[in-house]
Amino acid sequence: MKPRFVETFVPPAATFLLTTAAAEFGIRAAGVSPLLLPTPSAVARAALQHAPTLLPALAMTAQAVAIGLALSIALGLLVAIALSTSRWVERAFYPYAIFFQIVPIVAIAPLLVIWFGYGMRAVVAAAFIVSVFPVIANSLAGLLSVDPALRDLFRLYGASGFARLWKLSLPWALPNVLTGLRIAAGLAVIGAIVGEFVGGGGLGVVVLEAMRQQRTDLVFAAVLHAAALGLALFAAVNATSHFALRRWHTQETEP
Amino acid sequence: MSRLAASKRAVAIGMAALLAIPACGGEDAATRATAGKVALALNWKPEPEFGGLYEAQRMDAFAKRGITLELTGGPGAPVVQMVEAGKVEFGIAAADEVVLARDRGADIVAVFATYQTNPQGIMVHAARGLHSLADVFAAGGTLAVEPGVAYTKFFEKHYDLTKMKIVPYGYSIAPFLGDPTLAQQVFVTAEPIAARRQGADPQVFLIAESGFNPYAAVVITTGARARAETKRLADFVAALREGWRGYLDDPTLANALMGQLNKEMDADTFRLGAAAQQPLIEDAFAKQSGVGAMSLERWATLGRQLQELGLIGAAPAPRDCFVQVETLQSPPEPLR
Repeated sequence: MKPRFVETFVPPAATFLLTTAAAEFGIRAAGVSPLLLPTPSAVARAALQHAPTLLPALAMTAQAVAIGLALSIALGLLVAIALSTSRWVERAFYPYAIFFQIVPIVAIAPLLVIWFGYGMRAVVAAAFIVSVFPVIANSLAGLLSVDPALRDLFRLYGASGFARLWKLSLPWALPNVLTGLRIAAGLAVIGAIVGEFVGGGGLGVVVLEAMRQQRTDLVFAAVLHAAALGLALFAAVNATSHFALRRWHTQETEP
Repeated sequence: MSRLAASKRAVAIGMAALLAIPACGGEDAATRATAGKVALALNWKPEPEFGGLYEAQRMDAFAKRGITLELTGGPGAPVVQMVEAGKVEFGIAAADEVVLARDRGADIVAVFATYQTNPQGIMVHAARGLHSLADVFAAGGTLAVEPGVAYTKFFEKHYDLTKMKIVPYGYSIAPFLGDPTLAQQVFVTAEPIAARRQGADPQVFLIAESGFNPYAAVVITTGARARAETKRLADFVAALREGWRGYLDDPTLANALMGQLNKEMDADTFRLGAAAQQPLIEDAFAKQSGVGAMSLERWATLGRQLQELGLIGAAPAPRDCFVQVETLQSPPEPLR
């Protein structure tokens, strides 16, 4: 257990300490105005001082991200399954799924407020819109890459469509689905914060307020909280992946 | 450790990259200075609030003083940071931003205050029959304002806002048009005119009514530049004042010029906006002391108010916040 722990945590911790120290000394030595680039220690101070604002905001953003991401997983998977049923369906609808990838969320964010009203629903919608495409694209790639020999085998034994989906295609596609989720998790955080810029609440509003009040240190502190949320989600997907796949897929069983 | 020197350079490069994006001029301050050029970062699209600048450009008020002025920036440009970093010589900001910047350790000073009365207000539907800001807040409903603006904090301190649902303003009047109980922040020269054209019957209460009245569309520069280049600064402000005099007398040509740069605003809105802002720019004080002039009392009041709101640590010395160019009576002391 111990060597594994060292292997996992020491390299990123070392990177963190080195870059933080370099930034701290670099910014101090260069005499950069705190308005332009705050030192890591100033950011840490702002984070502590404004914890009563930052933590509830983080909880609010996390809630919107969780709901948006859950919707992305559910609807994204359903869409991918539907698209994988036939080449014709895929050709007819996949180009429109790509719409979600290229939609400029910043541009349509104000419309979300008009459609969904101010508050959580607009924020969830923004998180969903930016995070659903990676789920669709990766799941679909997985569903379509099922080994033809195995597909033939299922057909030979007269397996029903549902059995083929449940016992072959979905398990086969699981690593791809999880890759899609890793990408979607980070994007959902970005989507939620852009949604909050227009819909209100959460870290998005903290960022806007801090910018207005020229608290660059607080802007960075809020951004770090958002990053932490993204990392936590990434870790959650990885943990899920590990538990779901450790018995089957080589990438999870290797030490 | 060479790592440290490298990181110092990396920081400088990263910052330059960060700040160069909105500055889009391509030239740096040193190159501009030798060519007699200066850059001014706007904080919004060309609209009547910048009328005097464009009129000064149009009538060569800068050129005949040997100044080539490049207008840059736009909505969302980090103007105070651009000025502080020396990316541009001048910028447009609000007076409260000057005080905040000084509190955060940046040596920013105001040299010209376009609006004596702050042109921002709260717009409501006239059908609600409200008569004051106090009425608006007592009536409840949604209030759309940019998060973090100082006047919201001021409202929270001096009125009861518990009945209001405060949401971010997204620079679109569509939510206002669709919601009869929505109140939103406006620039009197823009949104109310647009709302009226869309068939709404808007009514505006200026935020100044609350007693919070920072100068707006203030031209800023750094204290160091103001001290080092008094003659050039005096020329710059003189040209600006000449431009504003011209725009206040007849905004037609400058409006046409701005209309070409900002196609979203039509000629009629430009005309109405210019008329609406006239009394806010040229009040009794400006008539006596000149357009753009500032007073020590106003800066003192603003500093005190921002301190009371907890937005700054200690109120700055009012004389450090601005430079009255005519007399250069208050060259600011170096910061720290």
